[in-house]
Amino acid sequence: MSATDRVSLTDALSNVDVLDELPLPDEQPCIEAQPCSVVYQANFDTNFEDRNGFVTGIAKYIEEATVHASLNELLDEGQEHAVMLYTWRCCSRAIPQPKSNEQPNRVEIYEKTVEVLAPEVNKLLNFMYFQRKAIERFSQEVKRLCHAEKRKDFVSEAYLLTLGKFINMFAVLDELKNMKSSVKNDYSTYRRAAQFLKVMSDSQTLQESQNLSMFLATQNKIRDTVKENLEKINGYEELLADVVNICVHMFETKMYLTPGEKHMLVKVMGFGLFLMDSELCNINKLDQKKKLRLDRIDRIFKNLEVVPLFGDMQIAPFNYIKRSKHFDTSKWALSNSNTPSPQADLMVHLPQIRDDHVKYISELARYSNEVTTTYKESGSDTENRETAELALRGLQLLSEWTSVVTELYSWKLLHPTDHHQNKECPPEAEEYERATRYNYTDEEKFALIEVIAMIKGLQVLMARMETVFTDAIRRNIYAELQDFVQLNLREPLRKAIKNKKDLIRSIVMSVRETCADWQRGVEPLQDPALKGKKDPDNGFGIKVPRRNVGPSSTQLYMVRTMLESLIADKSGGKRTLRKDIDGQYLMLIDQFHKTSFYWGYLLNFSESLKNCCDLSQLWYREFYLEMTMGRRINKCTVRHHHNEECNDLVTMEKRIQFPIDMSMPWILTDHILKTKEPSMMEYVLYPLDLYNDSALYALTIFRKQFLYDEVEAEVNLCFDQFVYKLSEQIFAYYKQLAASIFLDKRFRVECAALGAYLLPYPRANRYETLLKQRHVQLLGRSIDLNKLITQRINADMQKSLDLAISKFEAGDITGVIELQGLLEVNRLCHKLLSKWLALDDFDSMFREANHNVLAPYGRITLHVFWELNYDFLPSYVYNAATNRFTKYKGQIAFTPPVHRDKPPQMSHHYLWGTKPLNMAYTTQYTQYSGFVGPHHFHAMCKLLGYQGIAVVMEELLKIVKSLVQGNLLQFTKTLMVAMPKVCKLPRYDYGSPGVLSYYHAQLNDIVQYPDARTELFHNFREFGNTILFCLLMEQALSQEEVCDLLQAAPFQNILPRPFCKEGEKPETKQKRLESKYAALQIVPNIEKLGTAKQAMISREGDLLTRERLCCGLSVFEVVLNRLRSFLDDPVWVGPPPTNGVMNVDECTEFHRLWSALQFVYCIPVGDTEYTVEELFGEGLHWAGCTMIVLLGQQRRFEALDFCYHILRVQRVDMKDEIVKGISLKRMVDRIRRFQVLNSQIFAILNKFLKSGENDEMSVEHVRCFPPPLHPSLTPQQHYHAPEHLRQAMMI
Amino acid sequence: MSAPHREAIQKQIQQDWANREYIEVITVSIKKITDFLNSFDMSCRSKLAVLNEKLTTLERKIDYLEACVTKGETLT
Repeated sequence: MSATDRVSLTDALSNVDVLDELPLPDEQPCIEAQPCSVVYQANFDTNFEDRNGFVTGIAKYIEEATVHASLNELLDEGQEHAVMLYTWRCCSRAIPQPKSNEQPNRVEIYEKTVEVLAPEVNKLLNFMYFQRKAIERFSQEVKRLCHAEKRKDFVSEAYLLTLGKFINMFAVLDELKNMKSSVKNDYSTYRRAAQFLKVMSDSQTLQESQNLSMFLATQNKIRDTVKENLEKINGYEELLADVVNICVHMFETKMYLTPGEKHMLVKVMGFGLFLMDSELCNINKLDQKKKLRLDRIDRIFKNLEVVPLFGDMQIAPFNYIKRSKHFDTSKWALSNSNTPSPQADLMVHLPQIRDDHVKYISELARYSNEVTTTYKESGSDTENRETAELALRGLQLLSEWTSVVTELYSWKLLHPTDHHQNKECPPEAEEYERATRYNYTDEEKFALIEVIAMIKGLQVLMARMETVFTDAIRRNIYAELQDFVQLNLREPLRKAIKNKKDLIRSIVMSVRETCADWQRGVEPLQDPALKGKKDPDNGFGIKVPRRNVGPSSTQLYMVRTMLESLIADKSGGKRTLRKDIDGQYLMLIDQFHKTSFYWGYLLNFSESLKNCCDLSQLWYREFYLEMTMGRRINKCTVRHHHNEECNDLVTMEKRIQFPIDMSMPWILTDHILKTKEPSMMEYVLYPLDLYNDSALYALTIFRKQFLYDEVEAEVNLCFDQFVYKLSEQIFAYYKQLAASIFLDKRFRVECAALGAYLLPYPRANRYETLLKQRHVQLLGRSIDLNKLITQRINADMQKSLDLAISKFEAGDITGVIELQGLLEVNRLCHKLLSKWLALDDFDSMFREANHNVLAPYGRITLHVFWELNYDFLPSYVYNAATNRFTKYKGQIAFTPPVHRDKPPQMSHHYLWGTKPLNMAYTTQYTQYSGFVGPHHFHAMCKLLGYQGIAVVMEELLKIVKSLVQGNLLQFTKTLMVAMPKVCKLPRYDYGSPGVLSYYHAQLNDIVQYPDARTELFHNFREFGNTILFCLLMEQALSQEEVCDLLQAAPFQNILPRPFCKEGEKPETKQKRLESKYAALQIVPNIEKLGTAKQAMISREGDLLTRERLCCGLSVFEVVLNRLRSFLDDPVWVGPPPTNGVMNVDECTEFHRLWSALQFVYCIPVGDTEYTVEELFGEGLHWAGCTMIVLLGQQRRFEALDFCYHILRVQRVDMKDEIVKGISLKRMVDRIRRFQVLNSQIFAILNKFLKSGENDEMSVEHVRCFPPPLHPSLTPQQHYHAPEHLRQAMMI
Repeated sequence: MSAPHREAIQKQIQQDWANREYIEVITVSIKKITDFLNSFDMSCRSKLAVLNEKLTTLERKIDYLEACVTKGETLT
């Protein structure tokens, strides 16, 4: 739009109205105080500047308005001085003092001191002059009003109230001056420096300085001066009594709005009575004369024992009375009693407050809905009145609640606790700490939070409706004012004209002319009332216009004061004007006067709302700082566990500001965080909003940069703490929730049955609302709480995973199950949290924690391998009956003990959430810690994945290779030498003892070989354990895969065969099922909906899933074949049999050695010795059998084994003897057991090895040998091996 | 007080009411604009926060993927 374009007003207004229709969604629940980036407050208060415009008003009140204007200015100035005094911080302590008169730079120091302090001292001088001027002015006014003639005249409510405000100002300034010792110190520092430099040379300056120091040094100077001056005025006590009475009246009829005004009234009562009571005047006598009502004041003082004076300074108004001359205890029964003031107990107010809140909120909600759903230009008069009343009621409620909070706070400040009353309060606690931190019970803190939340919450709601409210308020006030002036006042006017009551007539006419807004611009001249005549029978119609505007502040003052003079008890003359007005009109005027009292507040709705909700003073503590500033505090600042020595050997520190633990906003915030009370959690931002109040106050009222800076510094600290604590507990909560869900249900039930303490599910907490907060307003900043918490919880999650893996790394292989559980719980926790927070992908986090992003295999795989290599393979013992490995616990150590990292120290929420949950899970997982079984293999499968399993197996094979081609080969070579060259199968005739003793003799070298039972068997066990590990891994993997397949089946159109009743066709049923689940099938759906590429990917994925188990790929088979390739040394097979067919008696092949070893371990051991089963487990047999099978020696082994032969012979003769110390029977038993075991192992191995040759290789390759010839024909050889024949022919 | 004079004053008072009503209309409109700006602010902050969250998530994913593909080149 170019600048020359003109926009008409209507266009502009409709443009503004259109703004309303733009949808501006804000997707977070509102749980904070009124957020406003831009504040707009129009102020139409002119401070009577426009008084001369109302020329038709009564001149007296226009004059009075002039007085009011100047008095108001004085009051404002007084407020500035009060702020100056209150916010005064000691300067002199920071200024270096010359140590001696000889110090060379002392002149410089003094010069700087004067330079720095001069502007401050100037403020003090101004203050002194101001109080002098104000007292003079006040006395003048009192004197004028106390003039004998004037006394009879009426003094307006506004006037008396202004005088009251003066009294209040004097009280405040006096107390502030008394309290601030730093002001005096600073001034004397200045004076010393100034005197040294002779700055104050002329006598006037010297006198001034003398006066100022006297003024500052004299306690109660202002109070005493005021009193002194007043006592010189005749009859001042009556005027003051009027002031006090009007305060009592206003207090009792709630004619005030803000808490500050309410407290001012009480202070005026106290200080006013104190001023009145003197040599000349006795307040008790005034009471007797009914000029005062001390009993009523007594009740007020009891109900409000302590009122805020300024900031954190409090005053007990009753103390003024106690200090007065004619204090009479009997008159003050209530205030003197020791019963606690209702002010001190928030809990008694709470039910009422809650009730009011609920009622008001619902009314407001109903009204708000009505406004937003129906469009109206403007409501009817009644509707407007109701709305305006609703607004006023809201303001009054807010003010009442704010009063309750500030009054409790004030009372608590004046009644600090100590270590007798509160056990938690240490005896050496500071004053401020005793007044705040330890001075509230838990319930009180909660109640405070709740009330603050109600205040802030309602403030938001009311501020949102501000335009609606103000519109109705203005219309209502206009209508009421104009109706009253144009219609209601007609009758008294008529009567006054008729009865020639000129004074009344002129007042009423003035009222009309001051504010009447006639329909036609002028009053209807033909109105019969103006002539004192009655209306015609059909009435005299006056149409009162309607506008959307209220009276100006001066206008309102004029109207109210003039009307007040009509109904006042005094009039200056002998009879009051009241007597000449009809009762019903008096009532009307009175009613109007009362109602219109609140109009000023309502017209300034936005400011009134702010003032009613102002809780800024909960943070300010200048008074307490002043008290502690100079003092040194006994506090150890070293970060360590404090002990008694700290009291003696402490570093002293000076208190410049209190720590956050003593600060009310943080105490309340922290209380919610500490107790984690779910019903309070959503309120947690409200106490933080107190900082907003305080900062705003520092900026706009105190106008002190340093105060704002201090608030800001505290907020920075608190908010960090807040986010830290909050995110920690949110994480802990969700972790706990996840762990509780994950915990076995039956375990939980049984725990409960046994009475074991196990927490139920965590109490639902309302963190979601907090997590949705994306713009929290704090000191003008907008904070994305969600983002901050996400960052921290991301880190927590990462740490949690990291620690889970570290914990696994600190333990043995059995910890793998716990690791899996921990990861699952973290995954669940992540899932629960992801609903609210944009956390990183769980798998990425896990890979990061597992150090698996860059490296192909992570910490878990490495640790699994490490444990397998150093602990599992060498020291675990397998038992097929249980299908478990257990750790060998005997004394014979084959390997050095394993050293692992220490388990990391971590707080409960990084593990399972809480201590009880940690205990429960630890108990569960210790069940898995004694062995390695199928569960562990399943867990390993899941954790390692295909890649990890491949890596681990590859590495294990490398180890086995070095083992087979190293130690085992070496041993075999050595032992083969010790083997007998030929070892026959003795005939049955020798009997089993004979056979045993034969073998024992033959194999003596092997039996006696020292390392056979230890080192050699140990090596074989390692080999066997590896084989078993691979086998069991494969089993677990297969089961996992089957599960995967089953779970994938519905998505691949693989449905279980449906049950069919007789006569039903399975095909149709199947078809129906297929169409029912068509939406689940991935491939057809992707083909239909996705791109060609996606379709291809899904087809390939589907194929991969389908074919995973189809071709019967086996890891174990591959492992076996790899193992076979390691057995390439000729020593394993020995030289080819001389007979060309097979070796029978010769001991050249490996199986013969194994037979010898089997003989060794079949020999029963003594009671004190360990059997091989205990020492090595079945890994040993697995190793032997595998080698035999892989070498293709299984049949020969089974046919020719020494032990088997003993067993066979013994089965026949059933003998039992001790042969060479060996119990035959026991030995045979052992042989039998191992034979069974061996055949099982062979069976399993053959199953895997033969799996590939079932189809095409089904025809067995049979090697044909010619029938044996009689030895006499071929004496040199038993058999002719065809190769040998061929070789022989070639030669 | 003469009648025409009174009439003039009454008209002035009426004029004053009209003027003040006009001012009030402007004030209310400014107030409405302020309210609008505040809710616009809130709404924008909320939306920007969501956008920011999405960008942060993407950035972190890219970081992760970068780490995956660089194979530790950047770590040397």
